[in-house]
Amino acid sequence: MNAITVRDLTRRFGDFVAVDRVSFDVAPGEIFGFLGANGAGKSTTIRMLCGLLKPTSGSASVGGLDVTRDPEGVKRRIGYMSQRFSLYEKLTVDENIRFYGGIYGLSGARFEARRRFVIEMAGLEGRGRSLTRDLPGGVRQRLALGCAILHEPPIVFLDEPTGGVDPLSRRRFWTLIDTLSTGGVTVLVTTHYMDEAEHCHRLAIMHAGRLAAIGSTSELKQVFADRPIVEIDSSNAIEAMRALKDLPSVEKTSVFGTAVHAVLRPGAADTGALTRRLTAAGLQVRAIVPVPPSLEDVFLDVMDRSPQP
Amino acid sequence: MPGRAAMRRTLYLMWKELLELRRDPRLLNIVVLAPVLQLLLLGYAATTDVRNVPVVVADADRSAASRRLIEQFNESPYFTVTHVVTTVDQITPYLERGTAWMALDIPAGYGEKLGAGQPQTVQVVADGSDSNSATVGLGYATSLVAAYAQRLIAARSPAAARAGLDPRIRIWFNPRLESRDFMVPGVLALLLVVVTAIMSSMAIVRERELGTLEQLNVTPLGRGELILGKLVPYAAIGLVDVVLVIAVALLWFQVPLRGSLALLMALTLVYLLTALGLGLFVSTISDTQQQAMMTAMFFFLMPMIYLSGFVFPIENMPRVIQALTYLIPLRYYLVIVRGIFLKGVGLETLWPQAAALAVWGVGILVLAVARSSKRIA
Amino acid sequence: MKKALAVGRKEFRQIVRDRRTLSVLLVVPILFLLLFGYALNWDVRHVRLAVDDQDHTTQSRDLVSAFVDSDYFDLVGAVRQDQIRGLMNRGDVRAVLVIPSGTGRRLLAGRTAPIQVLINGDDANTATTVMGYAQALLNGLSTEYRLARYPVTGRPPVTVEPRIWYNPELRSALFLVPGLIAYIAMLTAVISTALSVVREKELGTMEQVRMAPLGTLSYVTGKSLPYFLVSMISSLGIVVVAMWLFDLPMRGSWPLLVLAIALFLAGGLGLGLLVSTVSDSQQVAFQIAALVSFMPTLLLSGFIFPIASMPVWLQVTTYVVPARYFLVVLRGIVLKGVGLPIVWPDMLALVAFAGVVLGLAAVRLRREWA
Repeated sequence: MNAITVRDLTRRFGDFVAVDRVSFDVAPGEIFGFLGANGAGKSTTIRMLCGLLKPTSGSASVGGLDVTRDPEGVKRRIGYMSQRFSLYEKLTVDENIRFYGGIYGLSGARFEARRRFVIEMAGLEGRGRSLTRDLPGGVRQRLALGCAILHEPPIVFLDEPTGGVDPLSRRRFWTLIDTLSTGGVTVLVTTHYMDEAEHCHRLAIMHAGRLAAIGSTSELKQVFADRPIVEIDSSNAIEAMRALKDLPSVEKTSVFGTAVHAVLRPGAADTGALTRRLTAAGLQVRAIVPVPPSLEDVFLDVMDRSPQP
Repeated sequence: MPGRAAMRRTLYLMWKELLELRRDPRLLNIVVLAPVLQLLLLGYAATTDVRNVPVVVADADRSAASRRLIEQFNESPYFTVTHVVTTVDQITPYLERGTAWMALDIPAGYGEKLGAGQPQTVQVVADGSDSNSATVGLGYATSLVAAYAQRLIAARSPAAARAGLDPRIRIWFNPRLESRDFMVPGVLALLLVVVTAIMSSMAIVRERELGTLEQLNVTPLGRGELILGKLVPYAAIGLVDVVLVIAVALLWFQVPLRGSLALLMALTLVYLLTALGLGLFVSTISDTQQQAMMTAMFFFLMPMIYLSGFVFPIENMPRVIQALTYLIPLRYYLVIVRGIFLKGVGLETLWPQAAALAVWGVGILVLAVARSSKRIA
Repeated sequence: MKKALAVGRKEFRQIVRDRRTLSVLLVVPILFLLLFGYALNWDVRHVRLAVDDQDHTTQSRDLVSAFVDSDYFDLVGAVRQDQIRGLMNRGDVRAVLVIPSGTGRRLLAGRTAPIQVLINGDDANTATTVMGYAQALLNGLSTEYRLARYPVTGRPPVTVEPRIWYNPELRSALFLVPGLIAYIAMLTAVISTALSVVREKELGTMEQVRMAPLGTLSYVTGKSLPYFLVSMISSLGIVVVAMWLFDLPMRGSWPLLVLAIALFLAGGLGLGLLVSTVSDSQQVAFQIAALVSFMPTLLLSGFIFPIASMPVWLQVTTYVVPARYFLVVLRGIVLKGVGLPIVWPDMLALVAFAGVVLGLAAVRLRREWA
């Protein structure tokens, strides 16, 4: 039984179609990622699945309950953490935990156990009396996650949970997500960090409200099965791109840091032509190495191939 | 299903609200103290009585008789003679500057002609830019001179003085004609609305503005529970304010309370309901706190204040607008509050107002609750 | 200066996009003008009068006619003594004329005839006015009777000839409109400014602004400029609409008027900024702003309640209320047609107020940002 089932889910705001007939399934215990640019429809989709927004058409079931017909039932089974961390700044750590615990009906021994768990998970031992507003971003993020899972929901929705937080905290956060998933909790998370996306079991790439690609990271990278990617380290990336522009063996190029990634057409494994073109343009070629496709490559490729809205 | 779980959740929300309020000590102080401050201010300032009107006198006569006339004005509590000049042209700067609101013009030859038994006319000029004070001031001046004239008649011919009417004017409910006794109960109504309506609507909208409302919408917290949890703390604060304000009114200003305190509190609770309903309604149509405040203040409260009979009598308004005032809950509450304080009447007289208030309160609460939803359609 | 304009432009765009706030700032003042002009006044007419005539003579009927024929009283009906309390309690009548039996006889005999007028005191201001009407009517009648009896000695030696300057028809509208400008201007200037600054504090966007190489002065100017413009537009709008709909005269100089409004608004904006430095949340900012602007402008400026009638200690406090000076200047320019030579002390007071609050606000802001 799938934890989440989505069929042709659509949401319109007037004439604007924010989410366009999206369909997918999520298995229990899976970490399912939503990748996409801002405005692609990730947050809108999540909010529909949480019962915060009514779908214009289509259907979805979360934890076995229909999102349109029983949103309140769904809410009891899920945890939710949004971009803004939604903790009460003027309350202390303990007070925030106690508040959300109370809202979810936790009490007595069970509450105490969960409280200790969240404190430990967030690394806030001994700091229960600190005001939330005084906590650093990474700590607040963990605390917010903790408050979202106080009631041990089987399904958790995380909407860009790591915005504006240092890389170390992000990694620690994702360790927590892994732990959750191993414990059987289904996690649906939106992100626009590629390294985080690699962490997911399966990914959905959204573009202009539509589901442009879906699958595990290795499945997604299959698009490059017959199209090798090479990384070119030259003296001037922009010039290099310009030089390679209409070379028949090159499908497209893009800048990657200081280097250039060139996607070669099927069958064109010979990089000699590239070297010759680059040298002819007066550039110094330090290295051309084939690289395995990254998610970023996949993402850019999907964007290129998707119909423009 | 309302049950123990729902009640627990509501209580938790109330607890959180009160915690947040406590953590912002300035807010709490202001919300509790401001009404008392405003009451004190209003109690002393809000008087449409006219007293100590500054008068400039142009005395072209300079006789004993003219001086006696000037004395009449100076001795009256309504007037204070600030300057005495000689000719009429000299009074203009005082009126232009606003240092004097009225002027008395005594023509040359006044004393002589008076002694000879010729009836005299003196001009009294009023600064019409303050039309209310001008009207009242002129009225006082006319009465004052009429009474003085009566005394002059009595001096010459007691028999003539006795003939005629003897007006005995009795003011009911407010014999001292204290504006304060009339204003202070009204202030009660005003303050309640400001605190409960505006503050509670801002409180709800703040959660929306900061993003925590979305988080609450995802939890099992029900719509009714959210509303109750948010409004009850402000209702409690409102009640505290009510008690404080009534205490100050009774003990400091010594406004008479001739009716039943219990009835006052009961009907105040009903009024509180309407104020909260209004706050809740405004929160459903505002996205930011600034919007909520402005909408509540300018579209609802200020028209309510001015059209409710608080300062300006409803009977002076055009018929069309008078009809409109039936929609304003403050109108009914003012009648109730003034009735209980000044007239000592009870439910047998006030039941129409009480009923109207109840209908209004229930109506707006239902409307507001219907508009609040945990899910955007 | 350019940075200030950038901040100002952002703020302006935010205002314009927030249609609700914009309409409140622009439309509401006009609405209030209409309200004040058409509905709100103290001109008491149609006073509901009941009569308890225990005399039933020609004289008593003359008395009743005198009241009814005056423009002020509307006869509601004849009542008995036991009905009076109920009527007064419910507020169904505002005054009751009680003519005791024997009045006619006494008047004809040249003796004093007492007449009772009971006035409903639940509205003190109206009661005062009604009392004035009643007294004037009865005095006039009394004089007639006296003169009939004693044509020579009964004539009043002194009478008053009333004259009204600047507003001969005594229209409340002309009195209230200048005050309305002050009121609305102060309210919008102070509250908008306070809230807008505090909102940034509350939402955390203040940090981003502080990061930019922006001086305190530029920030302050930029934040206030749009509200200044909007308040100025609505103030002038009120004047123009009042002139069109209510025949508000403009007897003085326009440049002076605009200058006075600008100075007053500057003070209001400074006050708003000052309030923002003592508030962390918008709720607090609103309450404080309302307390220091709404209340004093309404109560202590002479807008509705005359200052001279207040207790002396309170009168002294009005000297720090800018609206008090503004009102004098405004009424002077608009209704009395006076110029700078007359109003300069009040203008100076406005400048002083604006200077003080803006200075204080700047000092506190700089300290906050340091």
